[in-house]
Amino acid sequence: MKTPLFSEINIGDQMPALVKDPVSEVQLVKYAGASGDFNPIHFQNAVGKMAGFGGVIAHGMLIMGFVGQAITDWIPQRNLKKLKARFVNITKPGDVITVTGRVTAKRIEDRENIIICEVKAEDQNSQVKVEGSFEACL
Amino acid sequence: MEKSKLVGSSLPEFTFRVEKGKIREMALAIGDGKKIYTGTEEAKELGHRDVIAPPTFGLCIDLWGGPDFMEICRWLGLNPVKVLHGEQEFEYLGDICAGDEITVSTSLAGYTEKKSMHIFSIDSAYTAAGRGPVLKSRKTIIELQ
Repeated sequence: MKTPLFSEINIGDQMPALVKDPVSEVQLVKYAGASGDFNPIHFQNAVGKMAGFGGVIAHGMLIMGFVGQAITDWIPQRNLKKLKARFVNITKPGDVITVTGRVTAKRIEDRENIIICEVKAEDQNSQVKVEGSFEACL
Repeated sequence: MEKSKLVGSSLPEFTFRVEKGKIREMALAIGDGKKIYTGTEEAKELGHRDVIAPPTFGLCIDLWGGPDFMEICRWLGLNPVKVLHGEQEFEYLGDICAGDEITVSTSLAGYTEKKSMHIFSIDSAYTAAGRGPVLKSRKTIIELQ
């Protein structure tokens, strides 16, 4: 992976988009085991229905994981300094999530080259699931 | 109980050993195939001590190493079926690699009431044995009325 150069990054630049495979029920079970979040709303359809979602819903943190993947596909993880996400809509199996981002600011602080980007994860209907921001040191 | 009185209270500290297989499991569940999460050699070539934890791994440390969701609900007096994860923040101070022993301290940093919501800000600080602070997190938990 080639680290983007601070001098070549401009405000408004897009981070390369990441298009994920459709979220699957098996993936939710895997993520439950990996993360330790065993809320049954993520793997028991009956619980998802009781909650009014018609079935299981994805862990918000899985979608934040997609955001982390998109960022670290673009810049090495050691350069990532802060990551913030807000969970705004639920994700269901079958949803195709695309992560996009955009540089909103750059500054030099304590001799460090900092970029700030906004980032969001949307489904196939452009419904935003997660919106947030990150800060990286290049 | 007046929930705002809980601000400043904390959970018992705990220590979690980061295993290579746990990192791999998390990366595979996300569907992130980067070798830095599964290959020790590839991670070392990039200057890490071993495979590194992906950016959202802090949650895994919380849930596998610390008190479970029901204990958190008891701590804050929450109705478990009314709880949502509203926001999540991480600040990275160093890498977390397989083999690290991470000690976590967690406290309630803030509480606000908005319309029909109780909003809790829970802060955690993660320290690696022998290396110092590596991660900070803030979780915003919303309890609907």
